[in-house]
Amino acid sequence: MATIETEKLTKVYGKDETAVIALNGVSLRIGQGKFVAIMGPSGCGKSTLLHLMGGLDRPTSGRVIVGENDIAQLNDKKLTELRRRKIGFVFQYYNLIPVLTARENAALPLILDGIKQPEAHERAAEWLARMGLKDRINHRPDQLSGGQQQRVAIARALVTEPALILADEPTGNLDTRASDEIAHLLHRISEQWNRTVVMVTHDPRISAHADKIIFLKDGSIVDETQLSHDDDETDIVRERMEEL
Amino acid sequence: MFTLKLALRYLSGRKLRSFLTTFAIIFGVMIIFGLNGMLPAIEKAWRQSVSASTNQADLTVTSETRGVFDANAVGKVRKVPGIAYATVSLTRPLVVPPTYAPKTKDGKPISSFMLNGIDYESASDVRPLPIEKGRSLLASEKTVLISSNLAERTGLKIGDTLRLPSTTGTTIFQVIGLVDTPPTPGAEALYIRLGDAQRLFNLPGKVNTIEAQFSPGSDREEVRTAVLNALGSGYKLGGNELGSELLASMKLGDFLFNMFGVLALAMGGFIIFNTFRTIVAERRRDIAMLRALGASRGTVLGLILAESLLQGVIGTAIGMAAGYAMVAGILVAMGPLFEEMAHIQLGGPTFSTSTYVAAIGLGIGITVLSGLMPALSASHVLPLEALRPPMAEVVRKRIGKGAITGIILIAFALAGLVSGDIGLASLGAVLFLAGLVLVAPALIRPISTLFGRLLAIAFAREGQIAQGNLVRQPGRAAITASAMMIGLAIIIMLAGMSTSIQSGAMGYLNKSMRSDYLLMPQSLVLGSGNVGAGPKLIKELRETPGVASATTLRLATTKANGEGLQVIGIDPGEYPELSGLVFSAGDPDSAYRALADGRAMIVNGIFAAQNGVKVGQTLTLQTPDAMREYKVVGIGGDLLNAKLGTGYISQDNLAQDFNETADLLIMANRAEGASATKVKAAIQRIVDKYPAFTLFSTEEFREDLLETYKGIFAAFYVLMLMLAIPSLIALVNTLGINVIERTREIGMLRAVGATRNQVRRMIVAESLLLSMAGIAFGILSGLWMGYILVAATKVSGFVMPYFFPYSGLLLSIAAGLIIGVVAAIVPARHAARLNIVSALQYE
Repeated sequence: MATIETEKLTKVYGKDETAVIALNGVSLRIGQGKFVAIMGPSGCGKSTLLHLMGGLDRPTSGRVIVGENDIAQLNDKKLTELRRRKIGFVFQYYNLIPVLTARENAALPLILDGIKQPEAHERAAEWLARMGLKDRINHRPDQLSGGQQQRVAIARALVTEPALILADEPTGNLDTRASDEIAHLLHRISEQWNRTVVMVTHDPRISAHADKIIFLKDGSIVDETQLSHDDDETDIVRERMEEL
Repeated sequence: MFTLKLALRYLSGRKLRSFLTTFAIIFGVMIIFGLNGMLPAIEKAWRQSVSASTNQADLTVTSETRGVFDANAVGKVRKVPGIAYATVSLTRPLVVPPTYAPKTKDGKPISSFMLNGIDYESASDVRPLPIEKGRSLLASEKTVLISSNLAERTGLKIGDTLRLPSTTGTTIFQVIGLVDTPPTPGAEALYIRLGDAQRLFNLPGKVNTIEAQFSPGSDREEVRTAVLNALGSGYKLGGNELGSELLASMKLGDFLFNMFGVLALAMGGFIIFNTFRTIVAERRRDIAMLRALGASRGTVLGLILAESLLQGVIGTAIGMAAGYAMVAGILVAMGPLFEEMAHIQLGGPTFSTSTYVAAIGLGIGITVLSGLMPALSASHVLPLEALRPPMAEVVRKRIGKGAITGIILIAFALAGLVSGDIGLASLGAVLFLAGLVLVAPALIRPISTLFGRLLAIAFAREGQIAQGNLVRQPGRAAITASAMMIGLAIIIMLAGMSTSIQSGAMGYLNKSMRSDYLLMPQSLVLGSGNVGAGPKLIKELRETPGVASATTLRLATTKANGEGLQVIGIDPGEYPELSGLVFSAGDPDSAYRALADGRAMIVNGIFAAQNGVKVGQTLTLQTPDAMREYKVVGIGGDLLNAKLGTGYISQDNLAQDFNETADLLIMANRAEGASATKVKAAIQRIVDKYPAFTLFSTEEFREDLLETYKGIFAAFYVLMLMLAIPSLIALVNTLGINVIERTREIGMLRAVGATRNQVRRMIVAESLLLSMAGIAFGILSGLWMGYILVAATKVSGFVMPYFFPYSGLLLSIAAGLIIGVVAAIVPARHAARLNIVSALQYE
């Protein structure tokens, strides 16, 4: 069963003469436990696609189906609920609340969902431990490195046990070593915990960790590549990117 | 729970700013709450003293007018079935001049007394005096019973004498016995024969209180009703309320301070609004992320509101505590004064439920209300914003709906001002302020261009960038300028009012006290405690060589159409010669003539305004024995009685209808060519025989008054400057946020060669530009509101010309510019110290 599916997804910004087609009839299906990277040059519509999949933006036409819901049909309240329970987000700039500790940040979605603090904190601590931050749970964001902050953000995305994780340039703000760690982590999330991970990136080294890469150009899917992870596939991806 | 925790974390994460924004709320609540605890405390002490001295008989009856009535009325009471005994008394407060006042052992003069003129024989049936020592009967004239407490404190013994001022000059009483009355918190009680009291006050045959004892077994309610029926109209149950003049002055002060408190809170609200707007702008990404994670709009709204609620609660709590401390301090400081002057022992602050409700409601209400709009805008932040890289806010041209609405509001405001109707004009002032706030964003560009040229002289290079920074975000610049505007507008408004009051009062003084000499009673306000003078004083005065003319003022209290009114008796022929009322309606000459011709009255503005009295109308006055109709022939007043509802009638009518003949204030003119020193010395010799009076040359009196006003207004200006503090906070906030937001840009400026000093100067220039815009707005609206306030006092009956507050204007311009520079210090230093590399990488 597909975790997420899009049907002829189209997004047009502006009207008439100034209209820009950001996304043009994109259809795709991503099954459970898959790790998919979306790549493409600047302005290809990859971020728009991710926003629509996460219900952060509404399509001009087409459908986004998460589980059994067509999220384009949901009102703000239902959509908010869906985001809270079924989807986890990882942002480029971590977006942690500066005045809360790592544990409190990770527990945020649970608290927002009305779960009692002790339980929420316990579950957040578990996920932080899985992210290798066991001894950092009481640190504030400004006491953590960029990679650590992003791992807190990932724990926050996973704490509600969503089936789908959406990551928007999760390594865009990190150095090479931290980027590799995060990429490994995302891979593990799909493999070990059977979550669907969709990641937008422009870094071939990072996308090489994915099971599949979808290449986007001018708002349409132009190619898909399955990766076997038998050897280092970074160069293959890089070549493909350069062609676009 | 969670929202509260997060709110608390955010608040404590920026302690200084939280404190500064909360300060305005603390300040406002402190004033509103504290001062409302002061007046009731004093009132309570008054009441206690009054009730302690009267409520001992079964029944007390006094005149509705609070004045005197014929002693024969007691005959009617004695005939009522169920009344066993009844007695009459003439009980009045009396202030004794310092030279006559008995002194305590440590030298403190006791000058305030409650003089009880009692009919001793009948009084002992109704309310026997507990004689402790000495003779129990006031058998002979000019004897006095004093309390053993007074004897103990002052060392007065039986056989000693006590000098009291009287309408004939001085009367010497012999202490004949000690009464063991419990030490009341009010004035010391003195008991003398009724006849002596009537002579002392020049009220032959008059009393002001009837007290009675019920027969055993009678129905109290029934007897009370029967007594009132027997006496006819004009009487009420219960003692006379004293000290109403003092309370009236205090209430006026209380009202002014409450106004001030509300203004401070309004300022606070504005600052909080400004702060929360910046907070929401700063945390846009946090909020967007929360929305992306699944926080509902309601949660976001609640989060911001929780923060403002928390600030409101903390500010209100601290404000109330500070208010309590302030008033407790004031009461302690005033305690000795009150004890000496009025023999009142002040307790701690007294707060009514409504004071709690008002302080809590206003403090928390205004804070939460101010947070509401920013909270609403926060709840509309799109989750998508969390994913976009941060960008400087886009310039939004705001010459849209807001500015147009603002222009319409200002147009209405102008129409209101032109209409001449005070209600519309004051509504106009509010509309004008609101309109200015709305138009401000559109005005920021032209105004900053205008002042930018000025600034270019001092800040040749940085000025232009600073100007660009403001124009780029006209919305926020306008908010800050408006906060500054409101602060300065209030200063200028109050300055306009105080200048006008001061100049206006002096104008009044010059008009209504034109005489060369004033013989003032002990207590400046005409009223209780003054003994007055009989006809001999004015006669002697008129016979003094060098005195061309003299006239007097007399006083009674009454109710007109059910409203309290003090009635001043003047001589319609002489009074206009020596003094004169300031008229706002009616023709003075014919009005004075009408007073002489019959039951006619000139009412002062405050009474006319509060009760909608017009010239030509007839007022029904309660007199001791009947209701009398007086025709209003003019509206006008004098300075001393400006704040009390007052009517002026002829002294003949006052004597006939109100039984009052004592002169309370005397004015005299020097004959042309007479030597000032000789005349003054001659008058002084006469006044020496009447210790109840003090002689002033009007010149001296004016100087004294001017000094008092100056003192009051100096304190007033200090308070006004306190109101400017919140503007400072607003400016620091905005500049601080601007620097944080433009970190990368400042890094870029430094990278391309701007020196630290130039960056610093840029921020200062920005701050100065903002203040100048604020000053310009503030002057406009402040002058307007000041004018309205002065015009509004006209409605309340105190006719006052508007005087332009030059000094206040200069003060507020100076204050504004200083605030502008001071506010920039911290943000400018922060900007100048930024590390170029990390600033460029700042996200």
